[in-house]
Amino acid sequence: MDKNITIIHPRPSSIVAALYTLRDLNVDVAVLHGPPGCSFKHARLLEEDGIHVVTTALDENGFVFGGHDALVNVLHKVNEMFKPKLVGVVGTCASMIIGEEMHEPVMEADLDVPVIEVEVHAGYRNNTKGVIVALESALNVGIIDKTEFERQRFLLEEATNVELRHGAASREYLAPSRGDVKYKVAQRIIELLKEGKRGLVIMNAKKETGYMFADITVAINEVAEQLGKADNIVNMANIDEKLGLPRVRHHAECIANDLKEKGVVIHENIGGLDEYPIAGNTVDQLIKDKYIDFDFAVISGVPHAIPMDHISNMELISVTNGPRQVLPLKEMGHEHVLVEIDLHPKTLGVNHIVESEFGATLREVAKESL
Amino acid sequence: MSVQKRIAIYGKGGIGKSSTASNVAAACADEGYTVMIIGCDPKSDSSITLLGGKRIPTILDLLREEKDVKEEDVVFTGYNGVKCVEVGGPEPGIGCAGRGIIVAIQTLKKISKTLNEMDLIIYDVPGDIVCGGFVAPIRKGLVKEAYVLTSGEYMPLYAANNICRGLAKINTPLSGIICNSRSVSREKEIVTKFASEIGSDLMAFIPKEQIVQDCERDGFSVMEKAPDSSIAQVYRDLAKAIMQRDTSVMPVALDDERLRELTR
Repeated sequence: MDKNITIIHPRPSSIVAALYTLRDLNVDVAVLHGPPGCSFKHARLLEEDGIHVVTTALDENGFVFGGHDALVNVLHKVNEMFKPKLVGVVGTCASMIIGEEMHEPVMEADLDVPVIEVEVHAGYRNNTKGVIVALESALNVGIIDKTEFERQRFLLEEATNVELRHGAASREYLAPSRGDVKYKVAQRIIELLKEGKRGLVIMNAKKETGYMFADITVAINEVAEQLGKADNIVNMANIDEKLGLPRVRHHAECIANDLKEKGVVIHENIGGLDEYPIAGNTVDQLIKDKYIDFDFAVISGVPHAIPMDHISNMELISVTNGPRQVLPLKEMGHEHVLVEIDLHPKTLGVNHIVESEFGATLREVAKESL
Repeated sequence: MSVQKRIAIYGKGGIGKSSTASNVAAACADEGYTVMIIGCDPKSDSSITLLGGKRIPTILDLLREEKDVKEEDVVFTGYNGVKCVEVGGPEPGIGCAGRGIIVAIQTLKKISKTLNEMDLIIYDVPGDIVCGGFVAPIRKGLVKEAYVLTSGEYMPLYAANNICRGLAKINTPLSGIICNSRSVSREKEIVTKFASEIGSDLMAFIPKEQIVQDCERDGFSVMEKAPDSSIAQVYRDLAKAIMQRDTSVMPVALDDERLRELTR
């Protein structure tokens, strides 16, 4: 692993990471201080997740003469339009390169609600920089406490390490891939179940993506039940409702409720929904202690964060939402790698488990083979 | 019309680029050439001595007001028909002056017919090339040759040497070195040697004379206010030399040690 490689495939930026963090901190409005097209796709998605995203719409004149007044005006405008209780302001490449100072206009706007200022651009090597700056600022205005801040910082460092080891930051260029054919993998899982093999179903999801990855857990359990093999399945999921930022805890609660309602028992709760970078160690220990002789494992979410130490003898099926994650997972030894394309947009603005393509495929294939 | 000359004068801040540029512009106009001077410094003072001490609205002033900029709004006629343009800039410490130069130059190129009718266009650029925008006239292909102004003092020579390194990097030929004297010892010898060692020539030695300051204080160029002075003749000779100059070189900057040795 070379930490100094220049990664040339497109990756989410620190600006986007900051926006998602503001969302997790439950801001009502996020103001992007920069051109209107900056981070458009994610800004739009976040609107679907219930927060208002606006920009200061900096244009050529804004670049030359600065955007101080534009930011003050937009802060006043959003205060009037949305009556927010918490506001975030995020820098962009353009505003940061021209040296825009965000604190001054925030003070001048003098809103009577806290404003989280995030001075970031998209040029940082690790996009977790955007999260850290957002959290530092949230700490400064009293939105989170020091303990939660330190916890988050630790998780981010670990997340960065996971990506460097086996993720999208592990090499200079990773080609996107749609992974293996879902139909065939569904058949294989049914085959394994029919043969009476014992399987682990591990969801190690990142925050709201859990709404869809949980459906894979549900589908496998449904099919195992139909085949009379429910006892052969052990479920693990990172859905601790007591850990994480407010919105993340809420997601865990919603997913846990749905699983319960669907009759799926989570045998091992492996951490919070933001603990995907470290939950792998818990999984590794659990397998070593209790499940070492299992035959296969279906790992969804961030499968590359699960150490190979005690699963390498199992048949591994992983489900990711990262098209660039296929090759690293194959290289780690995962035999089947599936990609849930466009998972993220479908998991924004929801409170319940949403159907996954693989879950649906598995259910259909099961119908044919029962 | 002969081939249009498009030059830029570079040099350390405060070394006298604007004085030299405006006097050369005036001297060329006296010779019957059509001349435009484009001030690229956010201070917008390049053409002030050609306009009787008056400031003109800058391109960026108008862009800031989001006005539809027309040529007559930003191209003004000064001494002996010299066309004067100032790029302008944001307030110090705010926004991006470099981007401002790029935007202003693009605007000027789009709106100005006069630009194409000139025999000589002089870009008076800021002393410190702190970012890409400050070399926009070169990068955008508007400047064809560069002159570097220096005195015989160490720091201006150090800056001149750095500029030569930069010019080579952006593939812009150097047409000559101009010495604006500060009356330091062995000045002409030092600058002549510097010019020669980087592969160029000393185009002019402009002696330090109070009359230049006096004219500027009144808001005029030497060419207008003191045309019979000996220094006016120096500018006249320099103007002629620039107009006749048809050779240029890709400068080879000296290493620090050699530069210091040269000034000892």
